[in-house]
Amino acid sequence: MSVRRMPSQPVDPPEPLLSVRGLAKEFAEHRPFARARRTLLAFDEINLTIRRGTTLALVGESGAGKSTLARCLALLEKPTRGEIWFEGSNLLALSERERLPLRSKIQLIHQDPASALNPGMTAVEIVAEPLAIQRLGKKDEQRIRALELMRQVGLSAESACKRPLEFSGGQRQRLAIARALALEPTLLILDEACSGLDLQTQETILDLLADLQAAFAMAFIYVSHDLRAVSEFAHETAVMYQGRIVEHKPSDELFENPEHPYTQELLAAMPSMDAICAGRLIGVSR
Amino acid sequence: MKRNYKLRAALALLAAFHVFILLAGFFAPYGFATQDRDMAFAPPTRMHFVDAQDKFHARPFVYVFKNNISDSSYAEDLSYVYPLRLFVPGAPYKIAGMFSARVHLFGVDAPARISLLGTDGYGRDQFSRFLYGGQLSLFAGIIAAVLSVGIGIVVGSLAGFYGGWIDNGLMRGSDLFFALPWLYLLFAVRAALPLHVPEWEVFLLLVSVIGLIGWARPARLIRGVVLSARERNFVRAARGFGASDAYLLRRHVLPQTYGVALTQLALLIPQYILAEVTLSFLGLGIGEPVPSWGSLLATLQHYDVLSSYWWMFLPAVLLVPLFFAYHAAADALQERYESISL
Amino acid sequence: MKYLGRRLVHAILLLLAISLFSFVLLQLAPGDFFGSMRVNPRISQQTIDGLRATYGIDKPFPIRYAHWLASVANGQLGVSLAYNGPVAPLLRVRARNTLLLTGISTFFAWLLAIPIGLFSATRRGKAMDRASGAATSTLLAIPDLLLFLALLLLAVRTGWFPAGGMISPGLEDVGFWSRARDIARHVVLPALGLTIVTLPVLVRHVRSAVIQVLESPFIRAARGHGISGSRLLFRYVLRAASNPLISLLGFSIGTMLSASLLVEVVLSWPGLGPLLVEAILSRDVYVVVGAVMLSSVFLLAGNFVADLLLFASDPRIRVEQAE
Repeated sequence: MSVRRMPSQPVDPPEPLLSVRGLAKEFAEHRPFARARRTLLAFDEINLTIRRGTTLALVGESGAGKSTLARCLALLEKPTRGEIWFEGSNLLALSERERLPLRSKIQLIHQDPASALNPGMTAVEIVAEPLAIQRLGKKDEQRIRALELMRQVGLSAESACKRPLEFSGGQRQRLAIARALALEPTLLILDEACSGLDLQTQETILDLLADLQAAFAMAFIYVSHDLRAVSEFAHETAVMYQGRIVEHKPSDELFENPEHPYTQELLAAMPSMDAICAGRLIGVSR
Repeated sequence: MKRNYKLRAALALLAAFHVFILLAGFFAPYGFATQDRDMAFAPPTRMHFVDAQDKFHARPFVYVFKNNISDSSYAEDLSYVYPLRLFVPGAPYKIAGMFSARVHLFGVDAPARISLLGTDGYGRDQFSRFLYGGQLSLFAGIIAAVLSVGIGIVVGSLAGFYGGWIDNGLMRGSDLFFALPWLYLLFAVRAALPLHVPEWEVFLLLVSVIGLIGWARPARLIRGVVLSARERNFVRAARGFGASDAYLLRRHVLPQTYGVALTQLALLIPQYILAEVTLSFLGLGIGEPVPSWGSLLATLQHYDVLSSYWWMFLPAVLLVPLFFAYHAAADALQERYESISL
Repeated sequence: MKYLGRRLVHAILLLLAISLFSFVLLQLAPGDFFGSMRVNPRISQQTIDGLRATYGIDKPFPIRYAHWLASVANGQLGVSLAYNGPVAPLLRVRARNTLLLTGISTFFAWLLAIPIGLFSATRRGKAMDRASGAATSTLLAIPDLLLFLALLLLAVRTGWFPAGGMISPGLEDVGFWSRARDIARHVVLPALGLTIVTLPVLVRHVRSAVIQVLESPFIRAARGHGISGSRLLFRYVLRAASNPLISLLGFSIGTMLSASLLVEVVLSWPGLGPLLVEAILSRDVYVVVGAVMLSSVFLLAGNFVADLLLFASDPRIRVEQAE
């Protein structure tokens, strides 16, 4: 069968790291001459919990609101309603200043690393940027830490002075991950982080993530529409349909016994697991 | 690449021009106010290699111009030969207003004069006056353009980055400047300044006036760049790390505007040089004896000068390659940074 | 309609701001019209003060501005100190002369620019485009002043055209056609100069607007449908390119009072330009403000006309506003 990437037992304190209750996001349309203001519902009634050292996958078709939810969880957008409890505080109720130290612990990795990296900066500058912004340590200390982070994600020190465009897609994603690790986050949100990469590169990134999770007991929220990767990588999977979570179970159970009709449709559309495994044993190398 | 070649050639020409003008004292054989009433309206000095005795000289030489009083024309006196000398000591001058020097690139012994562009009504060497005039007109244009683009960057960044009522207010303000016929406004503002005021003050005021008129278009363009830069993912990411607005502007947003700013500079400088030239031509610039390219051309308004002394046109003709080079640079920059044409 | 109404209000507010701005600028000027009289020892200070009082120049700034606004509402623009008469009729005559000149040159400039720009764009990269491109670049690099002086030289040397002015002296009382012919002879050089100076920029804009349209997907689709040649050009391409070109036309019309300043001075054409220069040199306050206002009105009117035309011709704007 397929190789599991994550540790078989989630580690550490049983209390959840992140707990989301009743989160909702509405967009008001700006049409100055319209009679009634129409609102667009991105997602509604989201309840989630996640523990350290585990991975929660969020799947669903495009437009189901996954990315918006991811950005809200990363505090890059403001939800309309609900609570986000993280390390004992409701993040949405705090002021910006109070939120700042906690904010560092939650990081987002974008789908397209090229847009998330400033093309004019060198690799080491990019990775050190969070440290520079938060003024942690002196310049050379920041640089040393950045190189260390790059090493952790598998980028050599020689590439420190290269610019993002000189890297391949997979390497750029590693760079983004290295940067996200700078502030020692406990929760990493991956918004379709592997979707733009070829299969082989995807594998290597997922390997890296699994290693990081094992080493630092990080929690991941893995947003994707690639069920195959999800099935191997995530402990739990939540299915989103039209802005709501319709099913949320440990991954094994979900894939064996999908209950919601939409989940069944999704799984039906996926190429069969056996066929994939067969292909893997024959062709793809690590 | 062919385009690169064009840009390089333009930049080289520009650099040369600017160096000549910056070091006007060195390249000009005479001071800008040195008069010689015996040589009023003399045509450009001709350089010869072969003298009246059919002897070939390796060094080019000139003859003294003798003024034929009866028909007020100039004839060359072939009796003596005055070779061209390089690195000649001459009238003292100052480099950048600080260092004194006496060496001039070229010259001839008295009583001969070498006037490459001829002389004006007071016998002043037009070539020297052209170089010194450039110090005024060229740098007035450059400084004014830097001022305009500078204001444009500030206004455009604030408006684009913060949006909301700041954006609205600033853009309405720029509307005001768009709606003003700028040449007329320039004149009106010039009218607000006294006509005869010490040189440097007028220079500064002139520069500020010209510069303050043209900030609206750069501001608009930069606002556009800032608007789109603000939405980029790496800016969002930096915000996620807790970056302040000032940091985001400095590190991520403003660097994106430099291309547009540079292009605007290359476009505005020739326009502003022309504005100064026009003002000086009409007598609204800096007064005598400080030359400016415009005042060099002002005598051409007299019909007799216009029709008899063709060399008085030469300062204007020399401006053509300068503007050509600036336009070529602006075109190349525009292509490179793909700025939207307005 | 509401859209146009808003633009109109906007324009009026802008005009008020401009008038205030110009007034303030001139207020900052040290000295005034009568200041130069003090050089003459025969004119006593009392006379000067009296003159100042007569013309109301001694009153504080806000009062002067308010008076001026009130008189504008009455259709008067103050008094010219140099010409010793009301400003409005003075401006009217000069503006008429300027418009004659700029009208002719704007007409011919556009008449030439559209075909040249159009065909340069369609034959992009080929001989004609490159020739017109080189010509445009060269013309742009030639300072206007040089061109006008050269034209003046032409007139003085050859005598084919009069060297200045609008009417030959002594010809005020002949018949309409003779006068018209005379004016025509005088207008050739300045109009030629102005046309040559404005043509390159127009050609470039037309060319780039057409190129943008030619490269757009919908033209490719039209070609794919088999539409080609002049039908494609005139019915599709020109229509699509008309949006930026109409804005440009609005700007052209708008600058009809101000663009000719230099040519009028050099070739002695009795328009607004020389009047403004004189007024500035002599600190004739109300003339300066009046001239600046008048040309601003024109600029705003030109843009407004462009907005009108765009509204009528571009359906996207109508839809945008209706929503």
